[in-house]
Amino acid sequence: MLIELDRVSKTYNQGLPNEVAAVREVTLAIADNAMTCLRGASGCGKSTLLAIIGCVFQPTSGRVTVAGKQLARLPDRFLALHRRQYIGFIFQRFNVLPALTVQENIVLPLIPLGLTPQQMRERAGILMERFGIVHRRAFPAGQISGGELQRVAIARALVNDPPLILADEPTAHLDSRLSNEFMDCLAELKAAGKTIILTSHDPLVTGHRAVDQVIDMQDGRIHVS
Amino acid sequence: MDSGLRKHLNILDYTLLSLWRRRLKNLSILLVFAGVIFLVASFELVTQALTETADRALRNVPEITLQRLSAGRQETVPLTYMERLRGIFGIREIVPRVWGYYFDEVSGANYTVMGMDRRRMPGGKEMDLALARGDMPDPEERGAAVIGQGVETVLRQKGGSLLSLFRPDLSQVSFEIAGVFAPATDILTSDLIVLHPEDARDLFRIPSGMATDLLVYVANADEVSTIARKIATLLPDTRVLTRTQIRKTYQVVFGWRSGFASVCLLTALTAFVIFAWDKASGLSPEERREISVLKILGWETADILAIRFWEGLLVAGLAFVLGCTAAYVHVVFYDASLFRPVLVGWSVIRPDLRLLPTPELANFLLIFCGSVLPYLAATVIPAWRSASVPAETALSGM
Amino acid sequence: MFLNSWSIALVICGLVVTFLMGFAARSGIRVLFHWNPDSDANRQIQLENEIWLTSTLVECALGVQIISLVVFVLAADFYSQAIVGAMCATGSLLANNFGVPALIVKIGGVFFYGFWIVLHQLDIRSEHYPLVRLKYVYLLLLLPFLALDLTLGVLYVAGLHPDIITSCCAVVFGETAGGGPNLLSGWSPRLSLSLFYGSALALLAIGIVLLVRWRMWASLLFSSLCLWFFLLALMAVTTVFSSYIYAMPFHKCPFCILKAEYHYIGFLLYVPLFLGAFLGMSVIVAEPLRSLDGLEEVVPRFQKRAVVSCLALLLVFVGVATYPYLRYLILGGEG
Repeated sequence: MLIELDRVSKTYNQGLPNEVAAVREVTLAIADNAMTCLRGASGCGKSTLLAIIGCVFQPTSGRVTVAGKQLARLPDRFLALHRRQYIGFIFQRFNVLPALTVQENIVLPLIPLGLTPQQMRERAGILMERFGIVHRRAFPAGQISGGELQRVAIARALVNDPPLILADEPTAHLDSRLSNEFMDCLAELKAAGKTIILTSHDPLVTGHRAVDQVIDMQDGRIHVS
Repeated sequence: MDSGLRKHLNILDYTLLSLWRRRLKNLSILLVFAGVIFLVASFELVTQALTETADRALRNVPEITLQRLSAGRQETVPLTYMERLRGIFGIREIVPRVWGYYFDEVSGANYTVMGMDRRRMPGGKEMDLALARGDMPDPEERGAAVIGQGVETVLRQKGGSLLSLFRPDLSQVSFEIAGVFAPATDILTSDLIVLHPEDARDLFRIPSGMATDLLVYVANADEVSTIARKIATLLPDTRVLTRTQIRKTYQVVFGWRSGFASVCLLTALTAFVIFAWDKASGLSPEERREISVLKILGWETADILAIRFWEGLLVAGLAFVLGCTAAYVHVVFYDASLFRPVLVGWSVIRPDLRLLPTPELANFLLIFCGSVLPYLAATVIPAWRSASVPAETALSGM
Repeated sequence: MFLNSWSIALVICGLVVTFLMGFAARSGIRVLFHWNPDSDANRQIQLENEIWLTSTLVECALGVQIISLVVFVLAADFYSQAIVGAMCATGSLLANNFGVPALIVKIGGVFFYGFWIVLHQLDIRSEHYPLVRLKYVYLLLLLPFLALDLTLGVLYVAGLHPDIITSCCAVVFGETAGGGPNLLSGWSPRLSLSLFYGSALALLAIGIVLLVRWRMWASLLFSSLCLWFFLLALMAVTTVFSSYIYAMPFHKCPFCILKAEYHYIGFLLYVPLFLGAFLGMSVIVAEPLRSLDGLEEVVPRFQKRAVVSCLALLLVFVGVATYPYLRYLILGGEG
């Protein structure tokens, strides 16, 4: 699944005094089955760029093409359909809903797909097995450790079996052991054929052996290195 | 099962979970809402019970009742009027009736005393079937009475098997108890004493040849109003009441009263709608974050709206069931005791009325319109507001 | 006659529909003025969200309109207990000049709000939202209709005068004629029956033709026939079928079958009829949209499903309507 960005810009609060150009004229191609890292200080626009790639919102101008399909200018509803099928998200701080149990959190992306409860449990079960959190299945996510939380987040991103995985500053709140664990896990996913894009300014991440490409960002522009 | 339907079931499942997670907030809405529905439903059920009672009472009323008015007050009717009506074609039977209220000073109870010739009444034989024990006395037999359950209770407290009553001049007459009406007919017979017409006349000191009113039975229901019009022309000093007219009057009176009550309840409803709107509008940061996470994970705006829709429907449905059940218990088992002060004067039919409504779809539809509809309408716009939380809210640095 | 619970329920329904449609129209006007699919300004994103608001509001309004239709009929039945000369809902609807028009407009409302939702559901299935302008112009056209609905309802209730026993000796007499007034008189049952079953067969035939091979003229014919059958069915229920349900030859009322005395059989009759007729007519509503960008697949699929469900529902209706009649013919009345 080739991702191409053509002169993509995103301006917040357009036309208002507090107008901010977060991403400026970015042109970029991301290859299939690669791990790409967007690096830069906070506020450089890397999260915004990731959100545009992840179809969370549309760019102010420019074109986003995923697997040959033009995505910019699509109504919100179709972006959601696209996210549901092609994209797995891992958030900064993971954004696991603390009041739901581990299993309930993992099946969230499956609910709008119209699977049976049986199918949803099975898929979640396989992933919980793989990440060693089966014993936490019925625990509220607010009561488990940081490492487990991270694995719940990865399991949730994988449950709809997306070809593309996006991670926004995933290691920002993890210690070095957990960060390494996390990166090794991503490396495995890449080996399994997934395309991975993440943002970070953590050398542990950007210097990881599995990262194929590091893209530096500054003031909304990119420098490929 | 197709996947669209399954998706909705999944969303419903998620909604149940999320209702349970916010159970305190939802419980407060549920209870307040059930309270409002309870008020609306109680009034509706009371009205329904009164209407049914009136209908049941009217079933035994003849097609036309004839009263004589003098100076705007009801007077006794001379039996000679019956002769003057003989000529009207279509009248099946005319039965004079002597009746009145008797206040028993010892027990403080009010009885209805009635005397008429039941042989001449169509359906008069059915009265035998309405007795719990004893027999209707022979129509010729004087000095015998048939009483209702309520009268019997008072009599038993006093002791003695004779029913002693006083004429207006305080001279005493005694009657033998020939029979007692069955409890099932309580609504009509509880305070009833049925006597021979002459006995009743004697008790009330009504001159012979007079009756309280005349019951006119008509063979063909379609001719009732024609005959009524003829009677009114023939006997200009009488008031002619047809059964349909009595029923319509009850309907209007009950309808008006319950309508008036509903208007009063509208204040409660408005307050609740504002409360519901307010509760639905206030989105906590956690709720915003949850919606945005769901959206990033691929939920559409329509899916979030579906959550809100199910939430509203579940809360409203549960409150509806709770409120209606509580209202039924309140009306049937506690005689609408909360509304007693308001209900005084409602009992057009009988002072010690037992309320026993058999609600049907129409009643529930009315209660629904008076409670659930405004609630759902009030929550639509807040629901949309919450569903339109942008997806990026949960991302960092934005 | 406003001060009773039925009138109040009608007023509440009317207010709720007005409230919902009012807000829908407000956002409709915003969308009409500022809609620009090529723009990515905040306003466009805001408008995309507003589409959800409008559709939710109209869907709710449709729900309330259906409820208010039922309330209207049952209210008429209630009024009949208080009005001179009215035996049942038919009588009170005929009690003044506004009853029947109000009923017709209410039924029309159900169909017109429903068509809007059909348009909306088709629209959001295309990535280009090609119907946005059309559907909001249509939405604004519904407003005068809503106003008409409200006005007629209010005029009808205001024009009802209850018949009360006065305390003086002046007596009011209503004329209680025969089995009460009929909505339609002078129709021969034999003619309406043969028309009814003939049209049902014709509808089935055209439906099958359409399913085998889609033709423009056939879809037009199908929808028109659906409308015709709907009207015919209402007439046949009134003049023929209802009296077999009541088991009374002179009681010809399309409303009493909705009551508990007749086991609510009317709902079993009208729900499939209304839904079937609605789906059948929406076939032609969708017809001009077949060639629109992004709807080339969606519309034909919807139309096919609509034809199938329409035929199935109308079959249920014909079955339910025929049952008491057949029963009467076979068992001979006192069954």
